[in-house]
Amino acid sequence: MSSTNHQGVNSDLRRAASPERAREEDRQLLRRYHEGGDTGAREELIQRHLPLVRSLARRYAGRGEALEDIEQVGAIGLIKAIDRFELEREVSLATYATPNVVGEIKRHFRDKGWAIRVPRALQELNASMSGAIERLTGKLGRSPSIAEIAEELKTTPEEVLEAMEVGSAYSTVSLSTGPSGEEELDPLETIGDEDAEFERSEDRAALEPALERLAPREREILRMRFEEGLPQTQIAQRVGLSQMHVSRLIRKSLAIMREELLR
Amino acid sequence: MTNHQERIDLEAPLSGDFQAVVRLIIGGIAERVDFAFEEIDDLQLAVERLLAEAGTVGSVQFEFEVGENGISTSVGPLSERKVAEALADGEFVPGQLTLRRILETVVDSFGVEEADDDRIVVRLVKRKGIA
Repeated sequence: MSSTNHQGVNSDLRRAASPERAREEDRQLLRRYHEGGDTGAREELIQRHLPLVRSLARRYAGRGEALEDIEQVGAIGLIKAIDRFELEREVSLATYATPNVVGEIKRHFRDKGWAIRVPRALQELNASMSGAIERLTGKLGRSPSIAEIAEELKTTPEEVLEAMEVGSAYSTVSLSTGPSGEEELDPLETIGDEDAEFERSEDRAALEPALERLAPREREILRMRFEEGLPQTQIAQRVGLSQMHVSRLIRKSLAIMREELLR
Repeated sequence: MTNHQERIDLEAPLSGDFQAVVRLIIGGIAERVDFAFEEIDDLQLAVERLLAEAGTVGSVQFEFEVGENGISTSVGPLSERKVAEALADGEFVPGQLTLRRILETVVDSFGVEEADDDRIVVRLVKRKGIA
């Protein structure tokens, strides 16, 4: 009896001490990365917090998007949080990263514009297409044909085309506005600066007002596509999104710009 | 474009509700000539941006000439002034994104033909295996 209690107390103590120790280890790794440029420390931080990303991603499962895709998007939020973390903050990395990860996932769903109701089977097919296209592009060294995607997913080309159309549905509402039309960003999600890589694109040229309405990431994607002439597959690699996602962002961004010009 | 060609004609309302149908049909046609996912996406985007300049009233005709090497797509008649302005030639300025620039990027070539009533038809050529 006492032995059981003793083990229970120790276990509780371990649990109580563990988050504090983990937080301190995170701080040391963050210091090594931000002050010493140790990218190994950054990688370790990513690995340490991937379970958090997986846990948050699971909340958004079953909405027509593959869990692994949601996790991938969430991981981008985690990386941004690690890169933007300021050492003087009195907050743990997990606390700071959570709204970043959730924000990235929410943005992903907003970008996909799932507002239009479509049959679940098509949503599921669309969800699995993204991974299939990435796999086939890697295997074939080129963008796959519809027949190849259909074969990979054991379905018909017609269903793939329909699923493509489902995935291409989008809304032209502001990228910072949710389906309700109201600002959805958690105040914590806006902590930190915009991604420096995307911000730099602003310096390239004076932007026309229509382009300025876009988020830095979307502007950079348009620049890569229409200034550099890069194919979607390469853009997808550079920005860490799937090719289908890049395609949707291009279409949506152009539609937003067109709307802006008509205002 | 190639010796053996099939032709498909389509007339669709300009209203936005039917643009998804047009996209689906373009996908279906392009799939028949084994276009890659990205090539289909390019052609769909070209037509979509062209239609965005054409307004939402009335209808538009599409003529698809499908060959072994690619697809030639005619879209029109379209209001000359609006579309011609959007397609106007000019030096590319970084930070600006015109319809002309978009079409130059996503199709292999395009041209403008005159139609009745001071309107125009835009012909887009997308070849296979170049994307």
